[in-house]
Amino acid sequence: MAIKFTEVSYQYSSPDGSLFDALKNINLDIAKTGEFIALIGETGSGKSTLVQHMNALMKPSSGQVEIYGIKINHSKSKKQKLTPLRQKVGLVFQFPEYQLFEETVMRDIMFGPRNFNISKEEAKQRARKAIIQVGLDESYLERSPFNLSGGEKKRVSIAGILAMEPDILVLDEPTSGLDPKGRDALIDLFTLIHNTYHKTIIIITHDMNIVHQVASRVLVMREGELVFDGTSEALFNNESLNKWNLEEPDLIKMTKQLEQRYSISMRPFPKNIDQLFHHIKDVI
Amino acid sequence: MNNIVIGQYIPGSSFLYKMDPRSKILALILLMVTTFVLTDIIQILVLLSVLLVILKLGGIPIGRIVKGLRPIIVLLFFTFTFQVLFIKTGRIILDETLHYSFYTILLAVGVVLFWMITKRFIKFKISYFLMMIVGILSIFMYYPIGDPFAQGQLVIYTGGLQGAFFIMVRLIIIVTLSTILTLTTKPTDLTLGLEQLLKPLSIIKVSAEEIALIISIALRYIPTLLDEANKIMLAQASRGVDFKEGKLKDKVVQIISLLVPMFIISFKRSDELANAMEARNFVPGNRRTRLHILTWQTIDTITIIITAITIPVAILLRVMLG
Amino acid sequence: MITVEHVSFDYHSQPDVLKDVSFTIDKGRWVSILGHNGSGKSTLAKLIVGLLKAKEGSITVDGIVLNEETVYQVRKKVGIVFQNPDNQFVGVTVEDDIAFGMENLCFTREEITKRIDKYAKQVGMEDYLSKEPHQLSGGQKQRVAIAGILAMDTDIIIFDEATSMLDPIGRDEILAFMQQLKHQGKTIITITHDMKEAVLSDEIIDLKEGQLLTHDKTKKVLQDKVTLNKSNLELLPSLKLYHKIKEAGIVNEELRDYLWQLSLQK
Repeated sequence: MAIKFTEVSYQYSSPDGSLFDALKNINLDIAKTGEFIALIGETGSGKSTLVQHMNALMKPSSGQVEIYGIKINHSKSKKQKLTPLRQKVGLVFQFPEYQLFEETVMRDIMFGPRNFNISKEEAKQRARKAIIQVGLDESYLERSPFNLSGGEKKRVSIAGILAMEPDILVLDEPTSGLDPKGRDALIDLFTLIHNTYHKTIIIITHDMNIVHQVASRVLVMREGELVFDGTSEALFNNESLNKWNLEEPDLIKMTKQLEQRYSISMRPFPKNIDQLFHHIKDVI
Repeated sequence: MNNIVIGQYIPGSSFLYKMDPRSKILALILLMVTTFVLTDIIQILVLLSVLLVILKLGGIPIGRIVKGLRPIIVLLFFTFTFQVLFIKTGRIILDETLHYSFYTILLAVGVVLFWMITKRFIKFKISYFLMMIVGILSIFMYYPIGDPFAQGQLVIYTGGLQGAFFIMVRLIIIVTLSTILTLTTKPTDLTLGLEQLLKPLSIIKVSAEEIALIISIALRYIPTLLDEANKIMLAQASRGVDFKEGKLKDKVVQIISLLVPMFIISFKRSDELANAMEARNFVPGNRRTRLHILTWQTIDTITIIITAITIPVAILLRVMLG
Repeated sequence: MITVEHVSFDYHSQPDVLKDVSFTIDKGRWVSILGHNGSGKSTLAKLIVGLLKAKEGSITVDGIVLNEETVYQVRKKVGIVFQNPDNQFVGVTVEDDIAFGMENLCFTREEITKRIDKYAKQVGMEDYLSKEPHQLSGGQKQRVAIAGILAMDTDIIIFDEATSMLDPIGRDEILAFMQQLKHQGKTIITITHDMKEAVLSDEIIDLKEGQLLTHDKTKKVLQDKVTLNKSNLELLPSLKLYHKIKEAGIVNEELRDYLWQLSLQK
């Protein structure tokens, strides 16, 4: 296992002095390769706190997180070197504006690798590779990261993490604020990275259509607890979906409506409209 | 994140809360002047005890005032030490020779190390610190072991002690006064009070209203910006920045990697905020009505009269005694 | 009523943000303006409230031709809710923020307090009046922004991607308010790329690269496969299936009607 959570809890104190549980007793295993995980849940359910434990930006209040063999818990001394873990588990924040700061896209992408003592030449090489990986071309490397569109900034910020060559790629709400075209392009990109390089990908999202489209495994957080860990198919058959304030993906919602109306069964759920069309064509 | 509190306001309902912020600000200034006019230790102690009575009546827990003093404790300590060591008037109350030898210095270092290791387990940190200082001094004074390679003289005069005590009380009074103001007045009311008091400045083309608006927008955005700074730090830490380590050259790049995103986001923010304000009919310099207004009551008049009287009284006392 | 006639707009760095755009929005209608990022839709919103000035063409709001002198009059008629909940919250507290616009319009204090109570209640924020923005969720902040605009009593409200930074719960809340406001007779313009928002509106304006592609009744736009193909709008599955069945020549009126109904729900 690349990442292993054992009974992890995280608390912080609010201004009135009371303790707030951001994570409660989380047990979780994440494999080194091949997983495509969607992490979902309401705002404030602890999703971001959870992923920030995955690259040791945060330490558990109790319990233990093991990342590539390094055990992280509350009592460990401050001297423990955690930075190398952040190369293994790459975390892309929601807003690219949080990380872009260099004069050129090239230098910005090189920033991560350089922090991990990669030589200048090698970092340049990686930047050229990463910009292609995220679906832009080399002409972008000499541009300023601040004169790009929202979608392009997003891609550059992802390239900045990819250039660190992490095993696991974690993305916090990567598609928020993008238009449908930009969103679809980004999802295609993740699928490509997942399929080509077999990296484990974890995305936090509110968009259930994306969950249905790409996730092989879904984690549901609710009030600091991990209430579901399983396949997306199992999730959409789970009766608690409403209780967790999650919507159904549009396609599944309609499939269920049609199933009920025509007393038919279309399981496993169709992944796209063509599959659904073939189902319904046979029935009617 | 909700764990950011701006200002120290704690809700309450005593007379201190009902007062107009303008009268509170004015009274604060007047009493500060009085504190600086007074030179007699007894008089200033009287002033402090009056203040303590006001605290009691106003229902402000002493603990909060002590908390307010915490940031200036280092300042208090140094002022005290300087006063004690350098004022040489009055009677000598202590005259001891300090022996600096290999052994006494070794012992002193031992005490410091012991203090550094144990201090985290001790609840009363300040008292513990003072104990450590006393311990070191007594080693130098009373245990002349080994051959001293140097000797010093520690002489303390009554004047020094008095002066030190006086300055401490004066500082405590000033901090207490401002703590009362910030504890019992909401930041918004404080801004509004300042605005009203600064109104006369319009003669010299300074717009009090604009200053107040700037302060209130700053107040509103401080928690947002702090939260954002934290997130930017985490984002850069995810790219391998180790903020705890690094050579000077690395440090510069680290700081730039924080500051550039902060600036860019803040500029975008202020641009959008300006649009939102304009769209909601804000025109700089135009007259606006206000939701919050200040009401001056009898208690405010009385407060101002009493605090204003303390100044001539203090001057009189000084002249008479001086 | 808003009339936009032959409006064009450029930024220094970017030519043809809007090219000769003309349309009319009638009183009491709910109109969605759709288009990809960079299609000029947010620029259009800023032009209507006079935050930007058109290079060519004219904009008329309720008979007032927008120019430097009339811009303040126009802003009394048009309110706008922006995308980022954090960047439009001016007040230190909820109540201060709702009051901000009214203070600028020099309403009396009594009127301001009365309206704060009324509109805070309407958006369900009456228990949060003394809360500060960092204690609120994004959806709650947007509700406060809506209350602030309702309090100024503008006839027209523009939502400039007001739901795009919210989670599904926050988004559904704001959508419910839009429906409520429409019933109160307000003219509503929603700038969005969310089809769930667009299907609720009466009319759709589709922009592409600064040009007006389509302006028609929502139902008509959704019916017309040719327009849809041209538009790059993201269709909901029910509508996709509806058109697929229609194209395949499957005659099942009942299923088609059912899918059509589903397509018009959020």
